[in-house]
Amino acid sequence: MSNAPFDEIEAELAKLPPAVLEVYREAAAAMESSFSSEELALWAKEGATIAGQTVRSWEAAVEYYRVGPLVARSLAFPSFMQWARCGTYLSQDSPTLAVSFFKASPAIVSNLRPQYIPRWAGLGRSLYKGTWKSSTLSARFFEVSPDLIRSLPFWDVEVFASLIEALSYKSYDVAVECLTLGRDVLPAMGREREAFLAMSRALSDGNWREVKSCLEMAPRALQQIEEGQTSRFLKLGERLTKVGIRDTARFLSDGSQALGQVPQGSQAHILDLCEGLLAVSPEAVPPFLKSLDGVLHRVTVNQLDTWFQHGVQLLKENPESGIAFFKVESNTSESLLETLSSSLELDRVKGVVRLYCRALSGSPIEVMNTHELVRRNIGWVDEDSASTDGTKVFLPPVVDHYQDKNENFSWFKVVATHQVGHLEFGSFAYDFGRPATQFEEERRFVLERERGLQQISDDVLVGDAEADGQVRSFTDIGRFLSLFDDRKLAFDLFTVLEDCRLDYRIKVEYPGIRRAAAAVQGDTLARRPEVEDLPLQEALVELLIKMSLDQFNSLPVPVDYKEEATMLARILHRLRTALANVEDTAEATLRAYEIISRLENETQPEDQWEPEDMDDPGEFSEEDFQSLLDKLQASQDSSGEGGEGDPYESPEPVDYRGDFKPEMVQLLTKLQMDQNQQGEGEPLSQEMLEQLLQDSAELELDAEQGDINNSMSTFAQNIMKEAGVPPPNSQPGQGYGPLLHDDDQGGELEAREPKAYVYDEWDFRANDYKPRWCVVKEKTLDEGDSGFYNDALKNYSSLLNHIKRQFELIMPETFRKIYRMVDGEDIDLNAALEAAADIRMKVPPDEKIYWRRNKIERNVSVVFLLDMSASTAEAIDEGRHTVDDRDAPDDPVEYMVWLRRRREGLVRRHYKRIIDLEKESTALLIQALESIGDNYGIYGFSGYGRENVEFYVIKDIEENFSERIKRRIDKITPLHATRMGSAIRHAITKLEHQDSPTKIMFLISDGRPQDRGYSREGVEKEYAVHDTHMALLEAKRKDITPFCLTVDKAGHDYLKEMCGDMGYEVLGEIWALPERLPMLYRQLTA
Amino acid sequence: MVDAVEPEYKEYAIEEFLVRSEPYYRPVGDELDLFTAAYNQHIPVLLKGPTGCGKTRFVEYMAWKLGRPMTVIRPDGSGGRPAQELREGEVRVPLVTIACHEDLTASDLVGRYLLDSEGTRWIDGPMTRAVKAGAILYLDEVVEARKDTTVLIHPLTDHRRILPVEKTGQIIEADDRFLLCISYNPHYQSALKDLKHSTRQRFISVEFDYPPADIEAEIVARESGCTTEQAVALAKLGEKVRNLRDHGLQEGASTRLLIYAGRLMREGIPARRACQVAIVWTLTDEVELQRSVEEVVSSIFE
Repeated sequence: MSNAPFDEIEAELAKLPPAVLEVYREAAAAMESSFSSEELALWAKEGATIAGQTVRSWEAAVEYYRVGPLVARSLAFPSFMQWARCGTYLSQDSPTLAVSFFKASPAIVSNLRPQYIPRWAGLGRSLYKGTWKSSTLSARFFEVSPDLIRSLPFWDVEVFASLIEALSYKSYDVAVECLTLGRDVLPAMGREREAFLAMSRALSDGNWREVKSCLEMAPRALQQIEEGQTSRFLKLGERLTKVGIRDTARFLSDGSQALGQVPQGSQAHILDLCEGLLAVSPEAVPPFLKSLDGVLHRVTVNQLDTWFQHGVQLLKENPESGIAFFKVESNTSESLLETLSSSLELDRVKGVVRLYCRALSGSPIEVMNTHELVRRNIGWVDEDSASTDGTKVFLPPVVDHYQDKNENFSWFKVVATHQVGHLEFGSFAYDFGRPATQFEEERRFVLERERGLQQISDDVLVGDAEADGQVRSFTDIGRFLSLFDDRKLAFDLFTVLEDCRLDYRIKVEYPGIRRAAAAVQGDTLARRPEVEDLPLQEALVELLIKMSLDQFNSLPVPVDYKEEATMLARILHRLRTALANVEDTAEATLRAYEIISRLENETQPEDQWEPEDMDDPGEFSEEDFQSLLDKLQASQDSSGEGGEGDPYESPEPVDYRGDFKPEMVQLLTKLQMDQNQQGEGEPLSQEMLEQLLQDSAELELDAEQGDINNSMSTFAQNIMKEAGVPPPNSQPGQGYGPLLHDDDQGGELEAREPKAYVYDEWDFRANDYKPRWCVVKEKTLDEGDSGFYNDALKNYSSLLNHIKRQFELIMPETFRKIYRMVDGEDIDLNAALEAAADIRMKVPPDEKIYWRRNKIERNVSVVFLLDMSASTAEAIDEGRHTVDDRDAPDDPVEYMVWLRRRREGLVRRHYKRIIDLEKESTALLIQALESIGDNYGIYGFSGYGRENVEFYVIKDIEENFSERIKRRIDKITPLHATRMGSAIRHAITKLEHQDSPTKIMFLISDGRPQDRGYSREGVEKEYAVHDTHMALLEAKRKDITPFCLTVDKAGHDYLKEMCGDMGYEVLGEIWALPERLPMLYRQLTA
Repeated sequence: MVDAVEPEYKEYAIEEFLVRSEPYYRPVGDELDLFTAAYNQHIPVLLKGPTGCGKTRFVEYMAWKLGRPMTVIRPDGSGGRPAQELREGEVRVPLVTIACHEDLTASDLVGRYLLDSEGTRWIDGPMTRAVKAGAILYLDEVVEARKDTTVLIHPLTDHRRILPVEKTGQIIEADDRFLLCISYNPHYQSALKDLKHSTRQRFISVEFDYPPADIEAEIVARESGCTTEQAVALAKLGEKVRNLRDHGLQEGASTRLLIYAGRLMREGIPARRACQVAIVWTLTDEVELQRSVEEVVSSIFE
């Protein structure tokens, strides 16, 4: 080997300041092991080149030599020389740059792929513009590079560098500061980094000063935002910036704070709104976010939508006022919020109201909103009136009568109590034949005879009978109302009087509601029309209404008809006792009708009214009544038939009392009953039903103009359907029950193939099971390779030993008698002898002298249910910050393609997936279970839709462990959705047949249950959770202990609901699964 | 300053506990006759019914009632029993009540050996003492006890009326007045803890339920001392709340709870508050249910 080149170089270096040679010699010694001597020569020579470039470049050469040995450790010689040449170029421009470059290099080269080194050097170089300030910036870049490159993908570093460059055109100082900030802030970011950089890049073109504050703000701000939403949020910021909205930093801080305050899970929705708003008017977005917190304190997220839509509308009409609206600086906004915040949605109190109604009535009443009733199209048309059909109470969806939530709730309560009152106090139990209690004479029979109507026995309709009278008498109420010529008047009177009776009764039975009821009545009274403006008949009906609302004093009464009014008041007072029943109402109706129908419906002159007190009109007597009637009849006869009155119009409905349709309710009930006991008598035909509906005063009131006949037949069909009567031409066997859920139509399913099982599903809205709703198909999993199983055992060998030891510890304690107990079955002889000896020796004896048999012999059956849903294919974030791009292609073009694909998530990494961990855990668990001999089954579940719930047998509970099972584990793969409820129910069936005293069901999942028609946005999501909860409850009822383990970190919110007081655990760290699973099982059974 | 008060309590041997003063019991049906007949005929009795509907009170009442007429009849010699246990012409029907729990073993009932300075000494358990003393033995919530205890019941409840004491090698024939009475709440037992038929069919079953509203009002008024209106309202509340039994509530409000509420009212606690603490919060922890029951309360009480 010749030393000539080295001598030459040394000679050259000797001309420079002595430090150079010194460092060179030191480094050369250290380098000898890395490179051959030719290579070393090249290295040494390059240093000389660097040194020789400018006056100060010897400093760079010093640095070059110094780091040489360190860099050489990571780089092969060609790459090494490439690196060296990068330095040379830099030192040509500025030795300072080169110094920083070399200084940073040792830390860089170990983390950066060699082919990127020139690009990295280039990034630094691009910041240098020949000025002193730019060289400082560029040097600073090299300084912070090691930190950046260690934790960011190189791509992001490049973007960041270009951001800094863009900033440097504005201000070097700001650029330097941002560079430092970026080093601190960026590594901590996750996926949102890209979006953040994009936003900052957008900023740097305009409000570049804000980049710095954004960087400062970002870590704290982004914490507030749910993972997965951050990118959207930043994207929003970017778009705002691009349209020129200033104060992005403010947006970051205000926006994130606002989002941080919204109820869990609704951030995505708020961001939807923001994006919608952005499209209309970007200026409105920041004020919207700013006021969001305050607004959400007052209204719910649902109500927010109403407010928001209103604002958007305003924005479109008048941008200025729209913005004021979103700032909540306008009256419109304020008053809308006021209304929204005090209004009460039925959905929010439905549960309470439902239970309340059930408690009062003692029957399983369902509470629904009135839209539901109208939608069914069976005769109810008013969307805002409460009502009941005998089994359900319908209430309006929202109440906003009052400025206070509590008052609005009271309104609900009063209304619900009134509706339930119809059931509790028997409005629909009207029986034509049952005697009234408050009236002596049974005038209805008299009237019926007078009118010559045949008396028809209650429920049997003889075919071919004269249509009218008989069809009308299909129900008792119908029979009663058919006594009258003017059915509308009769029905109105019946309604008022029955409501009066109920309200009185409710006040007696429920003193606590008196005040609220009185308030509601008072408000209603204030809205009633003036009696004086009405024609006589209507005025008298209105008078009755006012009295029924508890107004008795200073009632305007027409002077000429004082006697009639007083008689009406007496009739009404008869009903104001707790003893009055619905038959009394009918008799009272009849009497009131007799009076009012004999009067001319004429408007009375204004001066013909006098205020009158009616709170004590005197006792009603049949004699007085008859004499009044005779008098009226006489005057009517004398004046002849030609009365010039207006036709009678029904009064304004009393809003809180809602729609009262006793005939419809009796009809429905009767139809349903007839349906249940078929064969008894002729069922009602659709034609008869239509006829009946046509006559009914209840429908006449509601029928809108248009084709009444047509709507009648629709009503009739719907009513028949409602009552469960199959319409003609239909195949029997299809479900006709009230189908409340259009979203997943269809009927019961059948198990058509072997190993298919049908299960019910719980519908929490109906509060009942949907019968035979899901088909579970049991399949044995295919066999794969047992390699997976064996590998798992190998990989976890130390953990496995530990687990086995732990499990073996459970074993011995099980069959042993426990000695030395304070109390027990019999004396433990050893202990007793010792104690006896102690006593003899006058030493206080140990009192633990009994033995006791352990009460549990270990006899455990357990079923493990593995979630095999598609989501278990998700790769597990390994939590490493270093960028793993070892498999990236070298060619830059290919690299770009690869990078893009990787970004789009199309590259399958050899990461572990959730399911892999599930499988490994299963393998470990099997080992553990085999060691203690528990009876166990392992199943996987997935599926798509309710017709196809897949239930895979990995190890059947009765099967013995074998090679085949090892091979099946290999085939556990992510499949489709998760319909947990049915899978749980099938597992229950499996466990039920085991006779172990301890039965356990262990559910391992990775997220909420979901499936087609099982979980959708909104309510549907809850459906799945409720069904699963019910399935778990069923397990518990069968003495199976359910336990849920989930690896979904967001699991707490729904698991609490899903599992109730049953055990569950959310695994914070998925990696812990193989260790945690056996331990949990041990705890559960020990 | 108040003088230090002597603590007032009384101590009885298990089999000497007598119901001395007449407990208040309001019969609803023919349960008094049934029980008396069963007692005279040595037929064990199973009392079924929800918690707090008066099962225990009924047994107490019967112990008192059965004890009294016999003071008249038995000393005359018609009962044919040796008079050794009688004192001053009184026939006693002691009441031995055992609340069963899942750790209750056979030896807890029958007895066990204890150590003393001389060696071991046998000590009778409460069941043995009841059998010897001729008491009414009342096993409350019997299904809670361990399985082996139910086996003990068998020979006692058929014609043999004996208690074999395995460890001492003895068999005890029951006193003529001895009667076994067990209670059981069919509502909250799981299927597994149900009584076995071999056990069940040794008893006659008397079903208890909460009394009808008018009687319940009477009971509440009498027991709590609240006003009649309050008692009527409480009974109404009880009725309404029990309507929720299959809609979320595991158990309806018991008569006992209604009485508690009545007592609080008598002490001047406002009605709504009294119901809240005595009934609403006791019945359930579920917020929605609580709210619903509270709404019922606030409808009934002002």
